Amino acid sequence: MERNRDRAGMSRRTFLKASGAAAVGAACTALLPFGPFTLAEAEAVAAQTGETVVPTWCGMCGPAGNCAVYAFVKDGKFTRVAGMKEAPQNKGGLCCKSHAAPQWVYSPDRLTTPLRRVGKRGEGRFEPVSWDDALKIVADTLKEQKERFGPESLAILSPARRNYSEYLYRFLMAHGSPNYAHSGICAMQLSFSFAYTVGARPAPDYKNADVILIWGKQPVYSGPPLGSAVALVDAWRRKARIYAIKPSLEADGGFVTDWVPVRPGTDAALALAMLHVVTREGLIDRAFVETWCYGYDRLAEHVKQYSPAWAEKVCGVPAVQIEEMARTYATTPKAAIDFGNGLEHAPSASSAIRAVAMLMAITGHLDRPGCNVFGGPASTMPARRSVHMKERYTQEWVDKLVGPEFPRAFQPFQEGTSAAYPRIFEDVLKDKPTIHAVIAPGTQPAVSTRNPRGVLKALEKVDFYAVIDTHRTADMNWADIVLPALTPYEIDHPFEVRGPFIMARNKVIEPVGQGRSMQQIMLDLGVVMGYGADFWNGDLRACMDWQLEPLGMTLEELRSHRTGIRYEPAGKPAFEKYEKVFTTKSSRLNRAPFLAQGKVALYNTQFEEAGFAPMPEWVEPAESVTGTPELLEKFPFVLSDYHTSRSFSAGWQRNVPFLREVEKEPCLHIHPESARARGIADGDMVTVTSPHGSLTVRAEYYPGIRKDTVMLLHGWWQGCKELGLPDMPLLDGGANVNLLYTPDLAKCCDPLITAMGSQTLVNVSKA
Amino acid sequence: MSAEYKIAFDAERCVACHGCVVACKAWRERPLGVYCRRIERIWRQGEGMPRLRHASINCQHCAEPACMEVCPEHAISKNAEGIVLVDERKCVGCRSCEVACDFDVPQFPGDGEEKMVKCDLCVGRYDREKEEPPCVATCPTRALKLVKVSPEEKKTSEAALLALLKSGE
Repeated sequence: MERNRDRAGMSRRTFLKASGAAAVGAACTALLPFGPFTLAEAEAVAAQTGETVVPTWCGMCGPAGNCAVYAFVKDGKFTRVAGMKEAPQNKGGLCCKSHAAPQWVYSPDRLTTPLRRVGKRGEGRFEPVSWDDALKIVADTLKEQKERFGPESLAILSPARRNYSEYLYRFLMAHGSPNYAHSGICAMQLSFSFAYTVGARPAPDYKNADVILIWGKQPVYSGPPLGSAVALVDAWRRKARIYAIKPSLEADGGFVTDWVPVRPGTDAALALAMLHVVTREGLIDRAFVETWCYGYDRLAEHVKQYSPAWAEKVCGVPAVQIEEMARTYATTPKAAIDFGNGLEHAPSASSAIRAVAMLMAITGHLDRPGCNVFGGPASTMPARRSVHMKERYTQEWVDKLVGPEFPRAFQPFQEGTSAAYPRIFEDVLKDKPTIHAVIAPGTQPAVSTRNPRGVLKALEKVDFYAVIDTHRTADMNWADIVLPALTPYEIDHPFEVRGPFIMARNKVIEPVGQGRSMQQIMLDLGVVMGYGADFWNGDLRACMDWQLEPLGMTLEELRSHRTGIRYEPAGKPAFEKYEKVFTTKSSRLNRAPFLAQGKVALYNTQFEEAGFAPMPEWVEPAESVTGTPELLEKFPFVLSDYHTSRSFSAGWQRNVPFLREVEKEPCLHIHPESARARGIADGDMVTVTSPHGSLTVRAEYYPGIRKDTVMLLHGWWQGCKELGLPDMPLLDGGANVNLLYTPDLAKCCDPLITAMGSQTLVNVSKA
Repeated sequence: MSAEYKIAFDAERCVACHGCVVACKAWRERPLGVYCRRIERIWRQGEGMPRLRHASINCQHCAEPACMEVCPEHAISKNAEGIVLVDERKCVGCRSCEVACDFDVPQFPGDGEEKMVKCDLCVGRYDREKEEPPCVATCPTRALKLVKVSPEEKKTSEAALLALLKSGE
């Protein structure tokens, strides 16, 4: 509460008195206090300094609007941001990315004009073209291909920054293609597996839990001002027992009581062994199991094969620790699991997630205080309209999917129909591909999916490749057309909703260059394609107003609430909503419920009917200690990558100097003992070689990592001109970790949810 | 004894998000390569597992500033509120302070600009009774706090930070 104390009382007199005290050595450029501010405080400061202040949304991390800020502008230039105290989600707090926003906006890497490729693919020679010409080239190509190959020949790759995903879907709907290529590594794999096991994705009730299992998640990097970091610190301070289940401790390592050092990609083995312990020892909620679970006896029988002793060999966690954790979780009434993306990156991912969901269910930890709970109290805010056009889905649509992310029987899922991102490139490389055009709006396939060699080959081969982005991208040089997008600081839309809070986005500065917003680009392209009737004839304001109609206001009316509107909670939180949640209708065409029996699917008859395993089972990664022991002599370490970082958003923002100073270069985390045994000193350059490629990166002694495992952050390629740091190679010799994983998607991906494995075996030697 | 300002740091709250580091750079327009606040990672062997702590470090505005003692030009002084300041007009960039400081605080931007730069608690920029410097204001977990303490308390916290920094493997 201290952070929100009222500072509005500072008068002009005290402000001047404070500034007058400017002492020797204070190298001030302007005299103004610092945020976080209320609007009145921010405007008072701006008035003193001749600046203007713009309340808006931070635009530095995906997938949508997160923290609210006051942006300061001096002489038309975006200078800095302060946190917005009125915003209920960040309450004035901001992370490092938010503060570095102006450097991102003004980066020399910004794309400022539409470009047409004039050199060979990959060469990087372009000429500027007008928007009219650029859109005509895209539209002419797509129309011609639609005529020749059918509309499904177009694939759009899902962006990491996603407040415009619906507009991409709308374009595909209007065009007639189901091929929205989802990443296969983020959120939907968890959502799918939870929905088809317990009906929905339950959130950990951190505040009330006595035991917390942080499983494959980094609560600190998931938007530190948004509550998860604070919740972790608070849980630590009130002496909750906190297990960190992960191969390497990061920023949360100071706030856990137990480290469960699981090998990368073996979470399913660990979860299955925990199911083994709780079923063997009867540490279950019998009443809940009898009333609300389907197939308990078959599950109990099935998991007998997964003993802790077996799991120890596979996942590297001592059997006694597995047993202890399983018992503690099962027998503590208020115990929650904070699961994350780490569970989504293995060929056994669906089994891992389902086993975790089953663990919550059979031990009585679903939808009870201090456990994992379904939904919070929804606010009284009416839902805005979606621009997706889901009502147009038909079976034919689903049938035309190329490389479905989820089996056709389970399409469309929550976001819509989806292809698996890497399977789009696999298709392009076929003799007779379905896909002839790929659009990358805010995504960089050469660094963000598996098999970068194959991706670049596909980008050489595909008939048409278009990139739409704010900054130079890893594989832009392969594009036929590049369209410049505006950052969220240069546009006045879309409005954003976060929980009970809705606020317009306001334009901080005039656009740098000739870019357009992603939303506007999709509307404009729709019009040029002849789909204008579906795209408000290009009128973005009309599109925004249409979305807001259920809230009874226009965009301009919303904008007049300068610090947004906060709706009241709908009601008190309710628990044990089993009847409602377990009958939740799915997003499939027939709207059949997620749970066939209206009960927790311990034995999943729907998966069985579709030809998939009815119960979670262990699947080895493509290369692993127990799966391919013959490789260990040559490749003695397990390698994986970190999904998130404190200072960058996915593969972006390495070009922002203030952020790059925080993490200057790709570093391989290696245990000091393992490094010393190989004559590797802290800070040495090392070569990391897997059966599929090699990287050259700096070694960093890291006592908080398994001795048999090495890890680094994904997404490295981009240089930082201001710091004199050059781009890195996309393939061998660079730091693109995707190069090290198997290019064989059958071995790499989970068969049910196409989660892409991020584990292999490597050798590490001095470079 | 007079009360002196400093920014207190609570390692039991810091999650190393680096918000403070970049807030300082953005709001004070610090040049690249100059860190008036930085974060150090400290690994220790705990009970059965490695223990990780972070230290967010700025000028401690020490009770008895070693930098001030050694400065041959008398460019470093402490004001009535206990804030240690460097006079750019007097500093000749000899780097004696850099050697003397236990916390590696003095920064030298380079490129011909050799005068020492360090945290000045943003003196003169805000009302310390009501406001906070940007590093403190941005911290999501409230690991940083602007405080007014006695020189004795300052000494205790300086020793605690030094012990934390030296406790690493």
